[in-house]
Parts: sequence; structure tokens; C-alpha cells
Amino acid sequence: MKHEPKLKPTGWDALVAAAVLLLALALGARFSLSGAQSGARCAVVSVEGVEVERLPFADAEREYQNNGYTVHVRVTPDGVRVDRADCPTQDCVRTGTVSRPGQSIVCLPARIVVTVAGAADEGVDAVAG
Amino acid sequence: MKWTTKRLTLCAMLAALALALSWVERAFPPPVPLPGCKLGLANIVTLFALYALGAPSALAILLVRVLLGAMFAGNASALLYSLLGALAALAVMALLARSRRLSVYGVSVGGAAAHNTGQVCAAMLTLGNAAPLAYLPVLLAVSLFTGALTGFVAALLFRSAYLQRAIR
Repeated sequence: MKHEPKLKPTGWDALVAAAVLLLALALGARFSLSGAQSGARCAVVSVEGVEVERLPFADAEREYQNNGYTVHVRVTPDGVRVDRADCPTQDCVRTGTVSRPGQSIVCLPARIVVTVAGAADEGVDAVAG
Repeated sequence: MKWTTKRLTLCAMLAALALALSWVERAFPPPVPLPGCKLGLANIVTLFALYALGAPSALAILLVRVLLGAMFAGNASALLYSLLGALAALAVMALLARSRRLSVYGVSVGGAAAHNTGQVCAAMLTLGNAAPLAYLPVLLAVSLFTGALTGFVAALLFRSAYLQRAIR
């Protein structure tokens, strides 16, 4: 043994756990607060970190291809979801529908991110085209 | 530190064990259905190697495990995630292990949290987008439990008199 480890939990361990929990709560609060606003929302689709399209929450279907994968996105008035993807992990499909601003669907293999944006950051420039 | 035959053999065995554990882990459903959420059984090996053989050996085992793991899975894009996650976990655990006040549980929980943070950073890097950060709160909360679990298994290992003799 390089040095003998302590094998019974100590009060200092609780401190580490508390620090992790505090970090989780702080980050979680930050995301749920930013998602509190309501109003017109849209789904922002980014491929490889570059925004490619903003879809208002109305019935629409889109297909995005990147990195050899195809992701099928469905937008409804209630939210946005990935209903089909040919990636091996299927995490994006399992995420289900997201609707609150700040929520997102991530497809790591295809490097595609769908984020819900609120009315506040809906720029007029983005609607053009 | 000398790379004696014994050390080399122990490292090779532990690397093989870590690879086997990451494979076994896939048979279990993830604790929470989120990308990157898993038990982190291979972290038991890192934690054990850190105390038993020291940080340089633990790093060597970790690199062999991550590189061979990506090769066996045939998934080069996953390499960055496991590499950043595992390196972050080892760095934090090596720091925490220096404090003689913490037990293996605290070190393990810190390592699990660092692993998830590293993976989220890798996801943000490859995506060029901060969206994966939204997963971190849940992943951190889960790491409290997975970290305690791996800490518990590591504590069992350290109690084993047989292992104590083998690594002396």
C-alpha cells in the first residue's frame, strides 16, 4: 500500500457529498429559473455548434443529417422532440418532448442540439429567410 | 518509482479488470436514462490503483483502459468523453486522497462527480454548444450514489487480507 486508506465514512466525506449536492442544486436552479419565462417559444437547431434553423412551436417536421446520421425532428404546439434517429445510442429519442426554454435535446453521435428558446432571445434577424 | 515486473503485471491485470468491468456494466440498465449516466464500475479499479500503487500507475492503467476500450467498442468519437471523464476523475481523486481525513467514500464521490463533469465538458467541446450543461445537475446528483457504491466496493477490496498481501 502506498498509504492506508480510511475505510469508514467520516464527517469530511459528508462535506464532499454536500459540496457536490450544492453544485448540483446551484446549477439546477440556474437552469430552472432561466426556463421560467413563458410566451412565444421556438426550437433552435444547431449542427456542429452552428445554429441552422429556428422552428416556431407549430406543427412541423424536419430532417437533419450530419456526421453520417439522420435525426428526424418533430415540432408541435406543445414542444419539440426527436421522434426518429439512426444513431446507436438513441438518447435523443429517449429524451422525449422538451418545451421549457433552456431545455434541450442532444444527439452526441450526430452532433446536433435542439434547444428551446423563449420569447426573450427570439431575434428578428433569425426569422428572415 | 521503478517499473518492476511485479508492478507491470499488477497494472496489466488491473487494466484488464477495468476493461472487463466497463463491459459488464453495459449489462446493467443505467441508474437514470441520461446520456453518460452509468455506474462507473471501472472507477473502482482507478481508486484501488491510486491507493495501492500510486497516481502514476493509476494513470497508466486508466490510459490503457480508455484507449483499448474505445478500440474494442469501435467508437473513436466516444474516446474523448471517456478520456476527459476518466482523467478528471483521477486528478480529483489523487488530490482528495492526499487528505488523510477523507475515507475512500469521499474520494470516490469526488471522483464520480469529476468524471461526469469531465464528460459534460467533452460533450460541450464536440458540440460547440453549452446545452449539455443542463444535464450536469442530474448527473452530479446521481454521482453521489454511484460514487458511494464504488467507494463501498473499494472499501471491501482494501479489507481483503489476500489483496493486501498480493500488492505488498
